[in-house]
Amino acid sequence: MATVPGQLIWEMVKKNNCFLVKEFGRGNAGVQFSKEPNNLFNLNSYKYSGLANRKTVMIQPGGKDLSVVLGTTKTKKQNKPAAMLHKSVMRKEFPRMAKAVTNQVSDNYYRPDLKKAALARLSAVHRSLKVTKSGPKKKNRQAVRIHGRK
Amino acid sequence: MAAAVAAVRPLVTVQSLEGDMATDTITTVALPDVMKASIRPDIVNFVHAQISNNKRQPYAVSKKAGHQTSAESWGTGRAVSRIPRVPGGGTHRAGQGAFGNMCRGGRMFAPTKIWRRWHRRVNVNQKRYAIVSAIAASAIPSLVQARGHRIESVPEFPLVISDSAESLEKTSAALKALKQIGAAPDADKAKESHSIRPGKGKMRNRRYINRKGPLLVYGSEGAKLVKAFRNIPGIDIVNVERLNLLKLAPGGHLGRFVIWTKSAFEKLDSIYGSFDKASEKKKGYVLPRAKMANADLARIINSDEVQSVVKPIKKEVKRAPLKKNPLKNLNAMLKLNPYAKTARRMSLLAEADRVKAKKEKLEKKRSPITKEEASAIKTAGKAWYQTMISDSDYTEFEVFTKWLGVSQ
Repeated sequence: MATVPGQLIWEMVKKNNCFLVKEFGRGNAGVQFSKEPNNLFNLNSYKYSGLANRKTVMIQPGGKDLSVVLGTTKTKKQNKPAAMLHKSVMRKEFPRMAKAVTNQVSDNYYRPDLKKAALARLSAVHRSLKVTKSGPKKKNRQAVRIHGRK
Repeated sequence: MAAAVAAVRPLVTVQSLEGDMATDTITTVALPDVMKASIRPDIVNFVHAQISNNKRQPYAVSKKAGHQTSAESWGTGRAVSRIPRVPGGGTHRAGQGAFGNMCRGGRMFAPTKIWRRWHRRVNVNQKRYAIVSAIAASAIPSLVQARGHRIESVPEFPLVISDSAESLEKTSAALKALKQIGAAPDADKAKESHSIRPGKGKMRNRRYINRKGPLLVYGSEGAKLVKAFRNIPGIDIVNVERLNLLKLAPGGHLGRFVIWTKSAFEKLDSIYGSFDKASEKKKGYVLPRAKMANADLARIINSDEVQSVVKPIKKEVKRAPLKKNPLKNLNAMLKLNPYAKTARRMSLLAEADRVKAKKEKLEKKRSPITKEEASAIKTAGKAWYQTMISDSDYTEFEVFTKWLGVSQ
């Protein structure tokens, strides 16, 4: 509708939005992270921004069944948030998922510049979904107390 | 431009609620021109800051604070500073400094007065610009998202709901309606966020805080929905005729999630006018012209008109040559000083000569001497010894003096 160009949105959003990660440093950190959806590297930059770009790619774990969701935004549904994403759930083995991602992101000229980022995120998500044979690793972040010593 | 705009005026679908008359046709309304106004975060921020001052209440310290004593300076000569001091005795207060901002029990520096300039006047055109900007921003999902609203399940932006919502009477029905139009996650977020404020504000009658939910804009005066919605946390309800920047852009940040009823949405054009037609409610007001007709920078840069006149990309990289040290690098030296070649050669030859001479000399010294030479040296040594012995055998001094040729 009132389509506002991404560049303009980026100028309005880049300094102040609810997704910026303010935790690290006093604003003097070398990188600025962003928690927005559709941001492949979680970086606050125009290229990866999920808010400012008409075409964005989303790769997320799909839920309990170890699937991966690949989503791309529809350019003609920009102001229909409920119908904006073109989602597909992938339950294949990794090489075939990677093939699907390159197809959807780069080979059909959707966002060729995001190919590497999309593959990187896919492998990161895939790795996070892996379950080791001995079950998930136990994380003990507390100091272990040893009895009988001072 | 105006004609083109009138021809292809985009339509917004009106989201129907459950209790509506079952009309199969999907109703649409034309997008008002306000939604296409330029979005200026700077103006919104400034006007918001100014307007929000107008709610302040004056405060000041007591006029008498720190001055309710008859203290006078002791003057010089008492080895204490000349600050006024409390008279009398029999109490600790006697003799203590008074009045000064550095004194315990003294007044503060520049005591606050109730006649501070608390309120700010803002130009009416600026205020309108800010409101128009805020309305336009509320129609852009990215900006609404960036403000922190949960809009993933909202069917369309701007969100317009049918007029049956205005006659909702019960809050339970209102909640149901919010769920139907996909605004429930945002309202829930506001409700969940209800918590105790961090900091001193707790003790200053601002104990609880919560996030803002959607803003509901209705059209007909005295609509029932005000009472139905008003107890839902985070939700604000406002009439289109009385839109308020403090509600449209809380904190001066653009992009409040606004839910319009159909009648409110239709009124927008008459209230704010368009780019060429003056508003009906605001005398002589037309929407502000945009600074750029086309703000799509990427489109401008990549257009044929621009690309045909820009210089080609510089592909080859020009690197500055590495500076070589002439004292270490002979070729660099020769470039600066051609004589260096001769000088170097001469020095090398001279060095070689010197080495050769020294070697010969050492060689000569080290080689074993021949027999004749050895015997000659031996005889010479013996002869010297003999003369020494014979000379040492002198007996008389006279002989010696005679020998020396000294006469007494």
